Amino acid sequence: MTKIKRINDDLIGALRGLLGDRVSASEAVREQHGHDESYHEGHAPDLVVFPETAEEVSEVVKLCAARDVPVIPFGTGTALEGGVAALHGGVCIDLMRMNEIVRVNTEDMDVTVQPGVTRKQLNQHLRDTGLFFPIDPGADASLGGMTATRASGTNAVRYGTMRENVLSLSVVLADGRIIRTSRRARKSAAGYDLTRLFVGSEGTLGVITEITLRLQGIPEAVTTAVCTFEGVEPAIDTVIATIQSGIPVARVEFLDAVQMQALADYSDLDYPIGPTLIFEFHGTENGIAEQVEMVKAIAGDFGAPEFHWVDKPEERSHLWQARHDSYYACLALRPGAKGQATDVCVPISRLAECIQETRKDIDESGILAPIVGHVGDGNFHVVLLIDMDDKDEIARCKAFNERLVMRALAMEGTCTGEHGVGYGKIDFLTAEHGEAVSVMRALKMALDPKNIMNPGKIIRV
Amino acid sequence: MTDTLKPENADQLFDALQWAAAEGQSFDVRGHGSKLDFGRPMQAALGLDLSGLNAITAYEPSELYMTALAATPIADIKAALRQNNQQMAFEPPDMGMLYGGEQGGGSIGGAIACNLAGPRRVQVGAARDHFLGFHAVSGRGEVFKSGGTVVKNVTGFDLSKLLAGSFGTLAVMSHVTFKVMPAAEKTRTVLVPGLSDDQAMNAMAAAMGSSNDVSGAAHLPASAAARSGVSYVSGAGVAVTALRVEGPGPSVEHRCRALTALLNEFGEIEELHSKNSADLWQEIGDAGVFMEGDAAAGDSGTDQIWRLSVPPMDGAGVVERILGETGAETGGRVFYDWGGGLVWLGLKASPDASHEVVRGAVKPTGGLATLIRADAGVRRRVPVFEPQPGALGDLAKRVKGGFDPNGVLNPGRMVEGV
Repeated sequence: MTKIKRINDDLIGALRGLLGDRVSASEAVREQHGHDESYHEGHAPDLVVFPETAEEVSEVVKLCAARDVPVIPFGTGTALEGGVAALHGGVCIDLMRMNEIVRVNTEDMDVTVQPGVTRKQLNQHLRDTGLFFPIDPGADASLGGMTATRASGTNAVRYGTMRENVLSLSVVLADGRIIRTSRRARKSAAGYDLTRLFVGSEGTLGVITEITLRLQGIPEAVTTAVCTFEGVEPAIDTVIATIQSGIPVARVEFLDAVQMQALADYSDLDYPIGPTLIFEFHGTENGIAEQVEMVKAIAGDFGAPEFHWVDKPEERSHLWQARHDSYYACLALRPGAKGQATDVCVPISRLAECIQETRKDIDESGILAPIVGHVGDGNFHVVLLIDMDDKDEIARCKAFNERLVMRALAMEGTCTGEHGVGYGKIDFLTAEHGEAVSVMRALKMALDPKNIMNPGKIIRV
Repeated sequence: MTDTLKPENADQLFDALQWAAAEGQSFDVRGHGSKLDFGRPMQAALGLDLSGLNAITAYEPSELYMTALAATPIADIKAALRQNNQQMAFEPPDMGMLYGGEQGGGSIGGAIACNLAGPRRVQVGAARDHFLGFHAVSGRGEVFKSGGTVVKNVTGFDLSKLLAGSFGTLAVMSHVTFKVMPAAEKTRTVLVPGLSDDQAMNAMAAAMGSSNDVSGAAHLPASAAARSGVSYVSGAGVAVTALRVEGPGPSVEHRCRALTALLNEFGEIEELHSKNSADLWQEIGDAGVFMEGDAAAGDSGTDQIWRLSVPPMDGAGVVERILGETGAETGGRVFYDWGGGLVWLGLKASPDASHEVVRGAVKPTGGLATLIRADAGVRRRVPVFEPQPGALGDLAKRVKGGFDPNGVLNPGRMVEGV
């Protein structure tokens, strides 16, 4: 990679003048800000800055823009496609000091936060309001990062992803100007939907400095069930029939036998080891009872045995924490290995076929790789556990991943349902979108003509 | 009358836009022309008539999506879905009555390009939230596709969301793919009669905040209610607040009972069953019936119609302020949808559509106002869409420049000179 080297004493001095000691060039800090939780190679930025206001972010961007220095926003560093790697060097903007919950509007069910607030911090704050924020990726990620990567989680079947739940944004543009994308009213007909243009833009169009999110009422009743199947096929067929019937399940997660073993070991989860579905229902007592009956009938048609009910709140939170920790549980299956989480998503009607072909492919490739997924959306992850010292294994995993993506694309699916492109999937984007990549490039050039906003991610300019 | 090109397929559409991009031509783009009067009058050299792009190209009910050519009539799509007991959950409204055209005239591409959604928006989101992917040709004459058939993807910029609500100013879509959902087995509407606008906002907020999955919340002040074609509503003689519940039979009955208990303090509750419910929510989504004058009573109707988007609890206050300041005799042409967050307001014609008063009232709430109907002269002078100040307006111009740098598509439809 060529480094654009315009970091000099003049820039460092200007940043120190602005932020004082909230500018770091120490190797440890830089190294820590150059990588995420994935196997993708990290690239340390030249400097890390820690602004506390949108105005400071704006000034940092202006100083960098004047010198053509790249700017890379950073939250919790828990992403999976190398999005924070400073491929061309530059200044990393760590936004975690901007962690205030600015305003909760309980009547209109929305909240405005700074980007460094994490999803758990927000829900902790909302505890007494009767409201909650449903998007829950595995990590306790920052809401700025979740917005930038259009994150998702286990609740997407009922509540959608960040795409449906971000109402408005403040963004620092590539020239340092601060904009508010829309007003508080939910229906925005003032012009182009700029809010959603920034949701999922991975820092390539601007730095998000404030987010207004839709909240949900905490349901009157919640019921969770764990159901173990004889094989993968009946489990997935149960999910497909449930979704096609329009039953409003809140969560439906699939975990294969390898993954269940990993959770038993890592999180002391005590359920039978086999292909498993975890269902959760939200609503009124009565409404839930009816949904449960319908799902039980469907599962029964596919030969499912008992539903194990998880009624106690502490047991339920243990179960979901275990599910959220599944990536770490996978890593623990093979100490020393690095994880690569694939992320394809296919139309629900093709899901059983896609998972089965993939399972067969894993077995034939001789790789250790549990499968876990938000199957209600057609999205599943294969966690490839790779010995990074074994070149042959790395090559086999790479080839497997390419076959998986092409399999999903052939089924009219996508290479990434929720993890994003970063620099890890940049080549798949052309395979999936073709000409749209040049349209995205034109858009990127229109908004960031100097290509200083997180360069080398999503599209190459 | 400008000349019009009429491509019969996606290839001819591509040729037309390549030619226009090369020759410096411009187009006003239409499907069936049912919403041509929505937006600013355009200054295009030629018309581009997409009505030849008319077919459902992919529909397997079990896959829960449909792909259709852009000008496929909504009526045809609804008919195909009905056969499989499915629906477009976002309820694209029929603007025929509002714009004086025929009813049942709109196309799916038009509904998505204008990001139109009906009463169920409070529960399931806008048209854009159901819009999965498309094939299109940009103003540069490039063919591209984005999104696909899955409900989640994070592959780069979300171009689908950008095209929804772009009024044909960025690219011309040839194919659109959107979610379809199973239709509800049963629909009921809980009616609360006699509430003031303020009381109604509170009642709707209580219902929406409950666990009863309300899929429509509208308030018809007395004079609006009287215009309804549903006799239970028009015969009430007072204002009617309506809350819709959909789903499997026993669940709907249970939730109606729960809502009745919740709203008892607001007054005597009544219920509408399936057919009347469907008719009422169609009227609310289409809005025309509540906005038009009654010819038999010698009333020529309302000339200018605003659609105000406000935080739900602020709707009634905004209307009070506008009517107080304009002193307009509205003929009762106001009603509220989306739990109070959407206000339809008809005002007697004036040369500036009272836009300063209207926008002045809406602005402090963080809302915005769209001039849905006025004659062309007014729409040329008065911003139809909420003006975007400073850097935001510049950003929108850059987005336009990214797709259509030479202003080939619908010039001036959203913003003068863009």
